[in-house]
Amino acid sequence: MTTVQRAEAMFSPPAVDGLTVGSRQCPLYIGTSGYSYTEWSDSGFYPAATRTADMLGEYTRYFPAVELNYTWYQMPRPEAVARMAAKAPEDFLFAAKLTRSLTHDIRDNWSQEVNQYRRGVAPLGSRLAAVLVQLPPDFRRSPANRCYLARLLDGLQGLPVAVEFRHVSWAVDPVFAELERRRVTLVSVDAPDLPELFPHMDIVTNPDFFYLRFHGRNRSGWSSSNMQKKFDYDYSETELRQRTEASIAALSSRADRGLVFFNNHVRAQAPRNARNLQNILKARQWTKQ
Amino acid sequence: MYSERSILHFNVADFAVAVERVADSSLRRRPLIIAPLQAARAVVYDMSEEAFCSGVRKGMPLFQATRRCRRAQVLPPRIGLYQRAMGDFLGRVRRFSPLVEHGLADGHLFVDVTGTHRLFGPAPDIGWRVRREVRGDLGIDPIWTLSSNKLVAKVASRLVKPVGEYIVAPGEEQEFLAPLPVFLLPGITQGERRRFREFNILRIGQLAGLNRNELLVPFGRRSGYLYDASRGVDPSRVTNGVRRDACIVQEHHFGDDTNDSRRLKEAVARLAAQVALQLRRGGQEARRLVLRLTYSDGATVQRQLSRRIGSSSDFVLRDMALLVLQRAWRRRTRIRSCHLFCDRLHRRSTQQSLLQMLPQQSKDNEAGLLEAMDAIRDRFGQEVIGTGVDGTGGDRGRAQMSAG
Repeated sequence: MTTVQRAEAMFSPPAVDGLTVGSRQCPLYIGTSGYSYTEWSDSGFYPAATRTADMLGEYTRYFPAVELNYTWYQMPRPEAVARMAAKAPEDFLFAAKLTRSLTHDIRDNWSQEVNQYRRGVAPLGSRLAAVLVQLPPDFRRSPANRCYLARLLDGLQGLPVAVEFRHVSWAVDPVFAELERRRVTLVSVDAPDLPELFPHMDIVTNPDFFYLRFHGRNRSGWSSSNMQKKFDYDYSETELRQRTEASIAALSSRADRGLVFFNNHVRAQAPRNARNLQNILKARQWTKQ
Repeated sequence: MYSERSILHFNVADFAVAVERVADSSLRRRPLIIAPLQAARAVVYDMSEEAFCSGVRKGMPLFQATRRCRRAQVLPPRIGLYQRAMGDFLGRVRRFSPLVEHGLADGHLFVDVTGTHRLFGPAPDIGWRVRREVRGDLGIDPIWTLSSNKLVAKVASRLVKPVGEYIVAPGEEQEFLAPLPVFLLPGITQGERRRFREFNILRIGQLAGLNRNELLVPFGRRSGYLYDASRGVDPSRVTNGVRRDACIVQEHHFGDDTNDSRRLKEAVARLAAQVALQLRRGGQEARRLVLRLTYSDGATVQRQLSRRIGSSSDFVLRDMALLVLQRAWRRRTRIRSCHLFCDRLHRRSTQQSLLQMLPQQSKDNEAGLLEAMDAIRDRFGQEVIGTGVDGTGGDRGRAQMSAG
C-alpha cells in the first residue's frame, strides 16, 4: 500500500452508523451506481478534467461503497478487478452487477459464464458486499424463468446475492419465501410508480444485508432506452427524508448491514443525493444520541 | 488540457457471410465460402467461422478451400448487397456520433463518441445499444469494444472475435496489452514477426520493455510505431468517412495464361470499370491505382499510379490502369492473373475545382453517360456494357456495347 493509499484509507468515509432499532445496529453503506462518468466532472462532483483512472480514488473520499455497473456490460476479468480494487481503501466495499449475458441476453453456455463471473470478482474477496442480479422488465414469472433463476442462484451459491426484479409478477409471497430460504436479498427500489414495474417493498429476505436502489422517479423517461432520460431525476430533501422514515428504518431493523445506491447518475444527481442522504442519516443519529 | 477520448470499434466477423445468412437463414446450417464461381482461378472472398476452422483463408484459391472444407457451400459475392447492409449499419451508428470511420463493405468501423455522454449516456451503453439494435433490426451481431484509442479498441476486437465485447478503461491500455501475443498488434508485417521470433519477443509486454534506442536497431523507422503501439499509445483520430487504409480490390484470372496484349488490356479495363462502379456506389473517389501482374512462373510485378485529384470515372481509372499496365508488363512470360487495387479513398466532392480545365459541358456529358451505364449495369449485369479499349490506352474512349 502506498503512502497516498494509506492516507486515503485513513480519510475514507466510514459507513454511516445507520439506525439503531432496538438492540440492532445496522451500518449503512451509501454510494452510487457506477463512479466513472465524464459528466460528473462537468457537473462539478469531480474536479475538472479528472482522468477516468483517477475517479475511483476521488470517489472514495466521499463514499464507503460503490455499485460496479461495468460488470453488466462485460464479464469482469480478475486482473482488471484486482487493479481497480487496489485503488480503493481496504475497507471500501463493492457491489458488482451480474453480467448481462446472464440476465438480459442469456447465452447457451451461461453456466460456464457463471463460473467465469465468479473468477472475475474473486479478487474482491470480503470486499464484495453483493452481487446484484438485475433482471429485465420482460423477465416475467413464468415456469421457464423460475427454473432459470433457481439454477442461476444455485450457480451463485456462496456469494452475497441480491435480486432486483423489474416485473410486477414476481411480487408474490412464494418468491419472497424462496429468497428467504436461500438467504438471497430482495432489492428494494425507489422508482416511478408504474403498473408493470415491480413495486417498492420493504421486505428483508436475507438478514445479512438489505439492498436499496434509488432509480429516480422520472415517469416519462423510464420507458426510454436512453439512460440520460431514464435516470434523470433529482430527489428533494423531503423525498429522501420520507424514504428514510418509511423504508430505511424498517429495513435496518431486520438486517445486519445496509447497501444503498443511487442510480440517477445524470448531471451528478446521484452523488449529490447520496451525500444528502448521508447527512440526513447522520443528523438523525446525532439527534437520537 | 487533457482530453480523454472514447472510441468504439464495431466489427461484424465475416461480414459477407453474416449478410448472406441474414438473406437466407438456411445457410446457417453449413459452412459457407464466398468466392466468384465463374472465374477459373477464383479465390476466397470471405468464409464462415466453421470454414475458417477447417483451414480456409481469405485469398486462398477456391479449389484448395473446397478441398479443406468439403461440406462448405460456395456462393458468389454480392458486393451490392453487402454495401447496402453496411449502409444500414452505418445509419444506426451515425445516430450517436457524426465521427464514424469505416471500411467499404466489411462490417468494420470506428466511432468517436467523446463528449456525447450528455445526450446518450456512458459510452459502454452506446456500444450495447448499437449492438442490440443492429442485431434486432439487421440480424447481424457485431463485436463492440471501447477504448481511449483506435489501436487498443482494434486489438480488443481481435481478442473477442467472433462475438463479444471488451471495455479497456482509460489508463489500463498498457496493462491490457502486456500479456497478449505480439502479433495481435495491428500492422505487424511478416518481416517484423520474424524479427520478434529471432529476439524471442512473444508478448506485447516484452516489446514494451524495450526503449526507443533498443528498438531502433532491429526495426529502423518502424521503431517509433512499435514503441507507442506496445504501450497502447495511438494519437490517430477517427476520420469521418471511409478509412484511409480502405482499399478496393478487383482481380481477374485468365482461363489460360496469356501474353495477348488485347486480352490483357480488356481485362484491365474491365477491372477498372468494376472498381469505378464500386467507388461510385459508395460515394467515393480514389487517388491511387496499383496493378499487380502474376506471371505463369509465379513471379509478380506491381506498379502504381497516383493522381492529385481523386476520381471514380470509368474513363479516368481505365486510362490510369492501362498506363500502369504499360509500366508493369515488361516480361514475355505469359500472365496468369492481374489484381487492381484502388486506395487513398475519399468522399466524392460535388464542389467544382477552381482550376478545372475540362469544359463543364464535357463533364456533364461524362457524368450522364456513367449514370446511364450504371443504370444498365444495375438492370442487366456488370458485363453488358463497358468502355472501349483503343490500343493506346491514352485517349478518352467512348462507351460501347461489349460483345453480346
